[in-house]
Amino acid sequence: MIEVTGLIKRYGAFTAVRELSFTVRPGEVLGLVGPNGAGKTTTLRCLAGIIPATAGAVRIAGQDLTADPVAAKRALAFFPDEPRLFDYLTVRQHLAFVARIYGVAHHEALAQPLLEELEIADKADQLPGELSRGMKQKLAIACGLLHSPAVMFFDEPLTGLDPLGIRRMKDSILKRARAGATVVLSSHLLHLLEEVCSHVLILKKGEKIADGTLGDVSARFANGEANVSLEEIFIRATGGTES
Amino acid sequence: MFGALLYLRLTSLRNTMLSRVRRLKQPKYLVGAIVGAGYFYLMFFRRLAAGRPSVHDQGYHGPVTVPPELLSTLLALGALILLVIVTLGWILPDQRAGLTFSEAEIAFLFPAPVRRRTLIWYKLINSQIAIMFTAAIITLVTGSWGFLGGSALTHGIGWWFILATLNLHFMGASFAMTRLMDNGITPWRRRSAVLGLVALVALVTLAWLWRDLRAPAAADLESYRTAAAYLNTLLTSGPLPWLLRPAEFVVGPFFAPDTPAFLTALGPALLVFALHYVWVLRSEVSFEDASIAKSEKRAAKIAAVREGNWRAASGAIKARAPAFRLASTGRPEIAFLWKNLLSTFPLFRLGTLVALALVILIGGLWIDVFPGYRGLQTAASAFAMFMAGYTLFLGPQLARQDFRSDLLNTDILKTYPLRGWQVMLGEILTPVAILSSILWLALLILLLTVHFHQLGWLTPSLRLVIGLGLVPVVPVLCALQLLVPNAAALLFPAWAQTMRNRSERGIEMLGQRLIFIAGQFVVIVLALLPAAGGAALFIFITQHWIGLPAAVAVAAGGVVACLAAEVWGGLWLLGERFEKFDLSAELRP
Ligand SMILES: Nc1ncnc2c1ncn2[C@@H]1O[C@H](COP(=O)(O)OP(=O)(O)OP(=O)(O)O)[C@@H](O)[C@H]1O
Ligand SMILES: [Mg+2]
Repeated sequence: MIEVTGLIKRYGAFTAVRELSFTVRPGEVLGLVGPNGAGKTTTLRCLAGIIPATAGAVRIAGQDLTADPVAAKRALAFFPDEPRLFDYLTVRQHLAFVARIYGVAHHEALAQPLLEELEIADKADQLPGELSRGMKQKLAIACGLLHSPAVMFFDEPLTGLDPLGIRRMKDSILKRARAGATVVLSSHLLHLLEEVCSHVLILKKGEKIADGTLGDVSARFANGEANVSLEEIFIRATGGTES
Repeated sequence: MFGALLYLRLTSLRNTMLSRVRRLKQPKYLVGAIVGAGYFYLMFFRRLAAGRPSVHDQGYHGPVTVPPELLSTLLALGALILLVIVTLGWILPDQRAGLTFSEAEIAFLFPAPVRRRTLIWYKLINSQIAIMFTAAIITLVTGSWGFLGGSALTHGIGWWFILATLNLHFMGASFAMTRLMDNGITPWRRRSAVLGLVALVALVTLAWLWRDLRAPAAADLESYRTAAAYLNTLLTSGPLPWLLRPAEFVVGPFFAPDTPAFLTALGPALLVFALHYVWVLRSEVSFEDASIAKSEKRAAKIAAVREGNWRAASGAIKARAPAFRLASTGRPEIAFLWKNLLSTFPLFRLGTLVALALVILIGGLWIDVFPGYRGLQTAASAFAMFMAGYTLFLGPQLARQDFRSDLLNTDILKTYPLRGWQVMLGEILTPVAILSSILWLALLILLLTVHFHQLGWLTPSLRLVIGLGLVPVVPVLCALQLLVPNAAALLFPAWAQTMRNRSERGIEMLGQRLIFIAGQFVVIVLALLPAAGGAALFIFITQHWIGLPAAVAVAAGGVVACLAAEVWGGLWLLGERFEKFDLSAELRP
């Protein structure tokens, strides 16, 4: 469960996110879309507690992120667009490290299936420097999933994966949402988002233009047309050059 | 096309400068710039302007210049050194020629319709900026070496000739070596050929000089004049002058004692430079492949060195076993110790510490039994003192397996369910462990080897108490010191970041660095003062009641408690800062 009320993030005089409020319930997958620079990454970083919000309240799994950051962070996982790894730790050592940070007892029993699900089990003793970009991303995902987070934030999770990787990633996200996780992800790959997300939130210049279930948002911008793609909706909503 | 390249260079330079100037609006950079400029002024410019000798020219008092006969020897010696450097340049490299391009340059320039020669040109122009800067800096730092005669200007230009010609030579050499490699001549064959040539030249020279050659007699080494005369006869007889001549041309302007001599030296120096220039431009080897590999390697290496990871800098990183087994549950801070230990030498582990301690213990006791070896004790204690001082003062700058090397992973660290102070505590554990281990070993050596026979009150039991009392002080003291560089990384991440990013240097950076070195000393002194003062007072008052050893023991406990409280306060402050920290915002220009 994610509850965001009146989230504002300013960088100096520049306001990157204005008065954002929304709620995502367990089992829902919210797609955060918007043009470059709309504030998607900034929003996700605020929600994950990486940067303090200028104003507003964020509750993660019922815990207030400002009042009790540790409890809130225990429930969440953040996957940045560029995987951040430790150069000197092998895949397995990454998992051991993260397990200790989150206090995941007997993590080996969890880690092995996770590595197999992500298909990097055969790389378990390699360093990040020896992995391809996609594999690095998978390792970052394995690290984030190890403590079975109730809330997950993905920033551009599908970029850089091969077609099979994208399909696996989608399945993986859907599987966890069905198991009761709350997911927010940002992406520019709208046709893929359509297959994963139950809800969308359209941002433009830090402002929420529309949010709701895929159906609601389509209905709002479809002007009565049927089967309007998310891409078309996106362009209409953000006032792209096409209209 | 060349215009575009030049434009690229100049706009980059201008934008760098602009962003630097803009950054001065932030007080931390402004203060850094002021301190840096002041330091520079005090150290170099004032001295230059006043024409006074620099502190580096020891033994030079007053306007004494080198006598002419010595000058020619120096010239020959300089030429010889240059020749050795050049020869090494033909022996050492084992890769194909690669001009070092940045990754962005490769991405933009290599696929562009640019002739190879233009790229070489671009690189040459590019290196000129660095060379001129280096020449200026060397001239400033050496205070123009007034004893050689000449002026700051002639020395600056002289350095430029030396550096620029060397640069061209190495470039040409690397192209030539690449061509050899393309023709199937392996580096080892080339090396043996070059070495063979060197040996041959040396043999011929020796044979030639055989009659005049004599080992230096005592009279030759009597004064620097006679020694120089001896060297001079060596360097000016036989074929040596001819061998050295081209190199002498290059160093000529630098050694010119006055303006006429300088002007005369310019001609030959220019000639050598021009010949090199033509040589380099004419050798077109395909250097692109090598450049790409080189730039990637260089980027990785620079990053590693800046992070203090000599392990990575010295070669590819290899996976290895951790120093200890990390249980899945327990204090999360230990995870950082475990992780950061993986980024240092595999030697840093408990087993090594225990083994070394045992060796020292056995060795120390053994020496004690044989009075004949007392000299060794003095040597060992001197060594231990040196080791302890070095570790205490420079250790925190060298052991950087803490937040400084994790700066780029800040975003991930911040998503962990930990308070800021926990992350900071975890991060400093590794350098604390490393530095404390070294200091403990030094302490052990001192405990075993120092005997103050003249100090009657320093009884063996008291010595033991002092030694044991210092054991817990060591880690807290190290932690306290490590707070300073880590605070620097948190407060000035852009600055810490430049440690890996070579392109960014400047006077404000120098100033900030000075501030931090000074800061470290101030912090230590301020932190130690109350604790040490309190301890001294306590010992002074209570020693008559409870005896000196007991007083020292209690005081040591007090010092540890006091320092630990300070460390905790520091960690808490750093943690607060960490929680508000936004790396992406900080790294913006
Ligand atoms: N640290 C910062 N300081 C100042 N401005 C920033 C900072 N980080 C982001 N911005 C600005 O905030 C706005 C939102 O950036 P953000 O990275 O959130 O966009 P985004 O929606 O993720 O874009 P993209 O689709 O390109 O990833 C941009 O205008 C950006 O320039
Ligand atoms: Mg983004």
